[in-house]
Amino acid sequence: MTPTVSASGLSLHYGGTRALDDVSLRLSGGVTGLLGPNGAGKTTLLRVLATAVPADRGAFTVLGHDPGTSRGRQEVRRHLGYLPQTPGFHPDFTAFEFVDYVAILKELTDRTARHREVRRVLDEVGLADVRGKRIKKLSGGMRQRVALAAALVGDPEFVVLDEPTVGLDPEQRMRFRELVAQAGEGRTVLLSTHQTEDVAMLCNRVVVLADGTVRFDGTPGELTAQAAGRVWSSEERDPGAKAGWRTGAGTFRNVGDPPAGAELLEPTLEDGYLLTLDGAGAEVTA
Amino acid sequence: MTTTLDTPAVVAARPRASWAAVFALARFEARRLLLRMPVLVAFAVYLAWIVWRTRDSFGGFPALQDADRATQGGPLLVGLAVLLSANHAVLRSGRYGTDRHFAVLVLQPWRRTVAHLLSVVPVTLLATVCVAGQFTWEALKPGAVGHGSPAELLVGPLSVLLLGAFGVLLARLLAAPLAAPLLIVFLLLFSVFTSGFGGQGWSRWLMPVVGEGSSHTLPSDLLGRPAAWHALYLAGLALSAALLAVLLSGGARLRTVQAGVAGAVALTLVGAVGQSRDVPQETSEARTRVSVAPEKVQHCDERDGTTYCAFPEWTPRTGDWAEVVDGVRSLAGPGAQDRPLVVRQRVDARYGLDSDPLLAPSARPGEVTVGTAWGGNRIPEFATAVAGVLVTGKEEAVSGICDGRMVTVMWLALADLPDPMAGLRSVRLDDSDTGSAIVVSQTEPLRMSAAHTELVRELLQRPRNETAAQVRSNWAELTAPDVTTDRVAQMLGLDVPEPDEEEDECL
Repeated sequence: MTPTVSASGLSLHYGGTRALDDVSLRLSGGVTGLLGPNGAGKTTLLRVLATAVPADRGAFTVLGHDPGTSRGRQEVRRHLGYLPQTPGFHPDFTAFEFVDYVAILKELTDRTARHREVRRVLDEVGLADVRGKRIKKLSGGMRQRVALAAALVGDPEFVVLDEPTVGLDPEQRMRFRELVAQAGEGRTVLLSTHQTEDVAMLCNRVVVLADGTVRFDGTPGELTAQAAGRVWSSEERDPGAKAGWRTGAGTFRNVGDPPAGAELLEPTLEDGYLLTLDGAGAEVTA
Repeated sequence: MTTTLDTPAVVAARPRASWAAVFALARFEARRLLLRMPVLVAFAVYLAWIVWRTRDSFGGFPALQDADRATQGGPLLVGLAVLLSANHAVLRSGRYGTDRHFAVLVLQPWRRTVAHLLSVVPVTLLATVCVAGQFTWEALKPGAVGHGSPAELLVGPLSVLLLGAFGVLLARLLAAPLAAPLLIVFLLLFSVFTSGFGGQGWSRWLMPVVGEGSSHTLPSDLLGRPAAWHALYLAGLALSAALLAVLLSGGARLRTVQAGVAGAVALTLVGAVGQSRDVPQETSEARTRVSVAPEKVQHCDERDGTTYCAFPEWTPRTGDWAEVVDGVRSLAGPGAQDRPLVVRQRVDARYGLDSDPLLAPSARPGEVTVGTAWGGNRIPEFATAVAGVLVTGKEEAVSGICDGRMVTVMWLALADLPDPMAGLRSVRLDDSDTGSAIVVSQTEPLRMSAAHTELVRELLQRPRNETAAQVRSNWAELTAPDVTTDRVAQMLGLDVPEPDEEEDECL
C-alpha cells in the first residue's frame, strides 16, 4: 500500500534539547496512535508533519508532496487537517462562522459548496443544533468538536490530531472516539494521546515515541504482545517489577520480569506501552 | 528506526484558488467589519449628521463648489471606526491563539493581509454612497448653482480607505490591541494642535481633510484648491500603507509587492508635491479679472427695467434676485419704481478663499451689489441694498445714512418679505428688534438708531398697503437727504419716538 506520509530521519533540536532524533515512519489509511510520555516529542513530530515547523534534518512527504519547498508545503497544506493541542477559538464567531473561516483559509472558495461542507462536518461532529451559537457559549467538549470539525472540513486526506481528548469527561471522550474512528475511515489520521485506551479502541496502528525517538511501530496487538508473559499478579507489590499497582480486587498487578511460578495475567496495551518505555529515561506512569 | 521510502503517491493538486480564497476571506471580513459596533455607531452618527446638516445647509441655495467640500468631514468618523475595527480583526488570531493553527492552513499570511485590506473596500464604497447622497441632495435643491469637483468628493471615501489601511498596517507593526485606540487619540490631538496654528501653507495639505477658514464662495474655476493632487496624495498614501502591510506579512519576497510599494510611495510624493504648488498663474489672473472687472466675465440679463449681471454659474439665480428687486420696487415711490438698476454680482477673489468676503460698495449710480451666497440672511441683506440704492441712488451712499431715510430703506427692504419682523431681526447683527444695531450688508454695514428701529417695527406691524400708499405719496420728502426721523414719523402717521440722550444716534 502506498503510504500517505513517508518520513525519514527527521531530527529537530530546540536549543540544546533534542526534540526529535532520526524519526522515520510511514503512515497509511486508518488511525495511527502516537503514544508517549510528556516531553517525548509527540507534539513536535505532529507540528513537523503539519508543516508548522521545519525539521533540522531528514525529509518527509505527504501524498508525494515535499514540504521542503514552498510549493510542496502549500500542496501538503491543501491535503491536511490539523487539530492543535490547545486549539484557539474566536469567541465571538458562531461555530458555523469559525469552521467557515477555516474552510476559506483552506481555499474552499465556492460559497455554496463551502457552506454545504461546513454544515456536513458540523453534522458529522454532532453540532448541527448549535451551529449558530457563539463559541463562547459552548461547553469545552463542544468547542473541541468545533476544532475537530475545523480539522475535517474540506475532507483532508491526512488528519493530525494532537491530544484531542484531553480535558474531556468520560462521556465526551467516548463521543470523541466515535468521531475520530469515523474520521479514520478513508483517510489517514495521526492521533497523539496519553490515553492507551484511546489507542486500544481506535487505532489500527501505534507508534511509541520517547526521548524524540521511535520506540515501537506496529499494531496495537503487537504492542500488547510485547507484554506477553510479563504481567503477573501478587498479594504484595513485587519489588522486582518495573511497575506495579493495586487493583480493585485488592491484589497487585505487576509488569516486568516475573519471578518463577508467578500467576501470569493477560497483558493489555498499557502493559506493552509501559514495557516499551522501560529504560527510555522517561517517566513511566502507572 | 528507519524505513525505506516507497514511491510517493502524488495526489492531483486542486485548482489554484488562492486569489479566490482571498476574495472569499475579504467578503467574510467585510461583513464582520460592517457589523462591528464602532462602525455601526459611526455610520449611524454620520447619517444623522448628513440629514441634520444638509436639511438646512447653505440656506437652501448651495453653491456646489462648496457643497463638495462639505462632504469631507463626516467620513472621518467612519474612517476612525474602520481603523479601530480593521486593526482588531487583524489582531484577532494572535489574541485568541488561533494563529499557530491558521499558520498551517493554505492561505498564506500575506494573502490574509490582502483580504483584510480588501475588507475595507465595501465600507469605503458605503461611505462613497453616503457622500454621493449628501452631494446629490444639495445638487437637487432648487437653488443649487455651480459645479462640484469629483476630486473633492473623493476625499471622504479616500480618508476611510486610508484610515482602514493604517489600521491593518498598525496591526502588522504592533501586535498590541491598545495601539489603535492610542493612535486615534494621537490623531485627534494632532489635528487639534495643527488647526490651532491656523493650518496655513503646504503642510496643511498633508492632513486627509483640508478645510477652509472662511465660508467665502467663489466661482468653481477660481477656487485654486489642488483637489485632484490631494486625492492622488491620499490614494498614494493608502496604497503605500496597504502594500507596506502586505510586505510586513511575508510578501517581502514578492517582487510585485516591492515594486508596488515603490510605485505607491512615488505616487504619494507626486501628489504631495503637486498639492503644495502655488495657485497657477492663469488662476491668479482670472481671480483678479473677476474681482476688478467682473463685467468682463459676466452674463447680463434685463428684466423689468433691471439688468442682472451674474457670473456664468450663477445665471440661474437671477430669478431669485429679480423676485426681491420687484418686491422692493413695488413699494417704492414714483420715479424709483422705474429707476434703472443694475444688480451686479461681485466677489473679491484675489486671495482665493482667504479673501475678505466683505466688498467695497459700488460707486456706480444705480448699481446694487449681490454676492455669491444666497438664502437665509442674504435675502433681507440684498433687499436692504436694493432699497438703499432706490432711496439714495448710489450704493456707496447707503452706509452713510443716519437720518430718517433709514426708516424708509428698512421698511422697503423688509415689508415684502414673508415674515418682515423675522427679516428685521436677521439683518441686524445682534438679531434684535429693539434699540440701535448694525445692519449687516454684503458691502458696508448700515446703522439703525433705536428710534429708527421703533418706527420700522411699528410700520412692519401695520397693513402693508396702507404704509405703501403713504410712502408713495411722501416719497420725495421721505428720501430727501437729511430728512429727520421725527419728520418721517409724522409723514407716515407714527408717534414721534422719545429721544434717548444716552444712546448714540446711529449706534
